[in-house]
Amino acid sequence: MENEIRPLRRYKRSNLSKIVRWIFGIIVLSYIIWRLYTVFIVQNEYSPDIWVRLLISGLVIGGVYSLIAIGYTLVYGILRMINFAHGEVMMIGTFAGYFVFEATNAIKVTSSSGEVTSLSNAQPVLAVILAFIVGMAVASTAGFLLEKIAYRRLRKAPRLIPLISAIGASIFLQNLAQLLFSPLVRDYKNPGLIARGQGWAITVAGAPLTIPYTGVLTFSLSIILMFALYTMVRKSKLGKAMRAVAADKPTAALMGIDVNAVISQTFIISGMLAGAAGVMWGLHNGLVYYYVGFLPGIKAFTSAVLGGIGNIPGAMLGGMLLGLIESLGPTALGISYQLKDVLAFVILIIILVFRPSGILGEVLSEEKV
Amino acid sequence: MNRNLFSSSLKKGLAFGIVMILLVLIDFEAMSATMLSKLLGVNVIRGALPQVRFMVIFLVLYGMFVGWLTSSNEEKPAKKLVQALIAGLSVGIVVGLFDLVLIQLINTGTDVRTYLAALGPDSIKLFILEKGALSPLLHLGLFTSASLLGSALKILLKSKPVSGFFKSISTGYRSLQVKAQKHTPDWVKKYGKYLLFLLIGLSAFFLPRIWGSYNNYVVGLVGLYVILGIGLNIIVGLSGQLMLGFAAFFAMGAYSVALLNAPFPHGIMLGFWPSLLIGVLMAVLAAVLLGLPVMGMRGDYLAIVTLGFGEIIRILLKSDLLTAFTGGPRGIQDIKGPTLFGQPFSSDVDYTYIILVFMILAIFLYKRLERSRTGRAWLAIKEDTKVAQATGINIQNNKLLALCLGAAFAGLAGGIFAARNQFTGPNDHQLMVSMNILSILIVGGMNSIPGIILGAFTLKGLPEILREIENYRLLVFGGLLVLMMLSRPEGLWPSTRPDIEKDEGNKLKGDTAPGKGGPID
Repeated sequence: MENEIRPLRRYKRSNLSKIVRWIFGIIVLSYIIWRLYTVFIVQNEYSPDIWVRLLISGLVIGGVYSLIAIGYTLVYGILRMINFAHGEVMMIGTFAGYFVFEATNAIKVTSSSGEVTSLSNAQPVLAVILAFIVGMAVASTAGFLLEKIAYRRLRKAPRLIPLISAIGASIFLQNLAQLLFSPLVRDYKNPGLIARGQGWAITVAGAPLTIPYTGVLTFSLSIILMFALYTMVRKSKLGKAMRAVAADKPTAALMGIDVNAVISQTFIISGMLAGAAGVMWGLHNGLVYYYVGFLPGIKAFTSAVLGGIGNIPGAMLGGMLLGLIESLGPTALGISYQLKDVLAFVILIIILVFRPSGILGEVLSEEKV
Repeated sequence: MNRNLFSSSLKKGLAFGIVMILLVLIDFEAMSATMLSKLLGVNVIRGALPQVRFMVIFLVLYGMFVGWLTSSNEEKPAKKLVQALIAGLSVGIVVGLFDLVLIQLINTGTDVRTYLAALGPDSIKLFILEKGALSPLLHLGLFTSASLLGSALKILLKSKPVSGFFKSISTGYRSLQVKAQKHTPDWVKKYGKYLLFLLIGLSAFFLPRIWGSYNNYVVGLVGLYVILGIGLNIIVGLSGQLMLGFAAFFAMGAYSVALLNAPFPHGIMLGFWPSLLIGVLMAVLAAVLLGLPVMGMRGDYLAIVTLGFGEIIRILLKSDLLTAFTGGPRGIQDIKGPTLFGQPFSSDVDYTYIILVFMILAIFLYKRLERSRTGRAWLAIKEDTKVAQATGINIQNNKLLALCLGAAFAGLAGGIFAARNQFTGPNDHQLMVSMNILSILIVGGMNSIPGIILGAFTLKGLPEILREIENYRLLVFGGLLVLMMLSRPEGLWPSTRPDIEKDEGNKLKGDTAPGKGGPID
C-alpha cells in the first residue's frame, strides 16, 4: 500500500543527516577522551591547587552567567524571542556601578579617628549596597524602556522581526555607551575591603591558594538572588501571572491578567538580575568598557539553551556548567586558554544538535512549539 | 480627555528633552555640523565645534520637530497648539535643568571629560549659547516658540487649501506622466530597456577610468556587499533560514585566496583565478559541514548556532593554534592580484571591473534561481514548511542547497575582497560584517535586487563617503534597524513578488513582511 511506502522513503532520505550527526558526535567524543587521557594520565602535570583555583573562578563566572541567563530564559519563555540586547542591559548595569564607586570614592569623609578617607573606604558595605541598588535600578529601567520602545509593537510580527530589532537595539546601546563614555577601558574602584586579588589564604595539598573576597561576594549574592527569584516565580502572585502568561497569553488575559504589565515586569526583573550581574562582573573582573556586555550576553544565552530555554532552574544549572566548563575545560583538554570562547560555542552547537531542548528540558508555551 | 492630552504631551516633551540631553552628551551637534559642511559646502564649523548660529538653528529645528510630532492626533488647531506648547515647555524645562548643571560645572571649573567624553568646556559653552546664567530661560523660550512654530507649520500644511494645492500638483504630474507614456514612440517602448542597459554598461565601463581611485574603492565595496547581500538573501530571504554567521563563509573565500596567493605563510602562489575557485568551493564545503548537522533546527536556534559558528571561525583564525597556518592575529599580507591573459590586472579600475562583472553575474544568477523550480520550492518552504513538505518538496536538501549557494557567493566576494585589499586578517571577518550584510537586506528589502543595491549603498557607500561620521555610523545604524522594524519591516524597496502571488483576499496589513509565516518555525 502507498501509505506504508511513504514513511519508509522519508526515513531513508533523512538518513544522511543522521549519519553525519553521529559521525560528528563520535569525533567530538573521541577527541575529548583522547585529550583527557593525555592531560590526566600521560602528562599529569597539574597539582590539585590549580584545579581548585580553576573551580573557584568557574563557580564565580558561572554565577554571573546564571543571573544573565535567567533574564534570557524569562523573556524567551514569555515572548519566544531572543532578547539580543540583554548583554547590553548588563553593560549598562556595570557602568552604573562604576559611577557609584567613582562617586563614593570622590566624596571625602573624616572618620572617627580623624583621618580623611573616601566614603567607599569608610563605609564599604554602604558603597557596595548602593552600587548594587543603583546598578539594578538603572539596568531594570533600561530593560523596561527597551521592551517598551523596541519590542512591544512587534509582538505580533513574524519572529525574525523582533530579533532584528533586538540586534539593532544592541548595536545602538553599545555605540551610545561608546560615544557617551568614550571607548576607554576603565578600572573598577573597589572599596579597599574587597579589593581585587585579595582573599582568604588557604592551603590545598601543600600549595597556598587565595579565595578572593570578590569571588565569594559574587557567588553568594548570585545564589541568593537566584533563590529569591525562584521563590518569587513559584510563590508570589506576580510569579504565578508570569507563568500563566508564558503558558498561554490569550487565556491569561481572559483570566484577568494584564499581559502587557506582566511582560513589562518580566523585563524589569530580568534587567535587575542583569544589572546585579554587571556590578558583580565589574567588582570581580575589574574592567568596564562599552563592549563588556557582548560576550557574557552570548554566553548566558548559551547557558540558557544548555539548561533548556524557558526553564529557570535550567538557566541556573546551565550558567554554572558553562562557567565551570569554560574555566576548567581549556586546562583539562590541554588546549590554549585563548580558545575558551570557542569551547563555549562548540558546546552550544553540540547541545543544539543532540539535545535541542537542553539538559532539563524546555518549558515553553504551547502556541508555537 | 483634557488631562489625557496634557499628560501625553508632557510625557512626549520630557522624552524629547532627555533625547536632547543625550544628543548633547554624544556631541551630535558637532557631527551634524561637520556633515552639513561637507555635503552643502557651507562652513558652519569654527575650530572643532560648530558656530553658535548653527547651534541656534539646530535647536530651533529640533523644537519645531517636537511641535510637529506632538500635535498629531487632534482635529482642532487650538488643541494642537496647546499640545505643542506643553511639549515645548517641558522640553525647555528639562533642558533648562540640565543647563543649571552645566553652568555649575563651568563655574566650578570641573572637567567631566574623563566620564562623559563629549562634555568639554567649549562644547558646554556652545550649548548654553555663550549666555551663561541666562541660558535656561533662553532655551525655555527657544524650545517653546519653536515647538509652537512647528505645530503652526503643521496646521498650515495640513489645512485644506494648502494640502489641496499639493494634491492638485501631484495629480497634475501623474496625468502628465500618463500623457507622456501615451506619446512615447513604439521603438522607445520596445528597445528602451536595452538602451538603458547599454547606457549603464557604458557608464560602468568608462566611469571607473574617470572618477579616481577613491570612488572606485567605494563602488567596489558597495559591489562586494551587493554580492554578499545576494548570497545572504538566498539563505534568509528565499529559503527563510536566519543566518548570523555569514562572515564565516566570507572568511573562507578570503583566506583561501590569501593562503594560496601570498608569499608569507606558505608561498604557494597558485594565481588568483584558481584560488578564487578554491575559495568558493571551500565556502561551499564549510556550508555543507555546518548545514548537515544543524539543518533540522528551529529558526532562532539556527540563528544562534550560525552566530557561534562565525565566532568560532574568527577566533580560530586569530588563535595561536593556527598561527603557523593562517598568520594569526596579524593576518596575511601582500596577496597577489589577478592576471588576465598574462597581463597584471590589478589596478583599482580593474578591480572595479571584476567586481561589477561578478555583481552582474550574481544578479543574473539570482534572477534565474528565483524563478526556477528550486527558487519556488524555497519560497514555499519559507511560507509554510509543512505544506511544502506535503507537496513533495525535500525540505532538507533544498535548505542545504540554499545554504551552499549563499555560501558560494560569500566565498566569491571574500576572495575578491582579500585580493583587492592585498591583506586579510581576522578583524575583516567580525560579527559586525555578518550583521552589516543582514542589515543591508533588511534596510533595502528582502528578495529585491534594487533593494539590496540601495541597502548596500546606504549602509556601506554613504558611510565611506562621509568618513567624518565614522563614530556615529553604528549608532545611527542600530537605531535605524529598530526604527525600520517598527515602521517599515518590508524594507526601503520591497520586493513585489508576494503581492503578485497572493490572492486579493489575503492582503492583510503586514502580510508582505519578510519572513511572513515563519522563517523561524
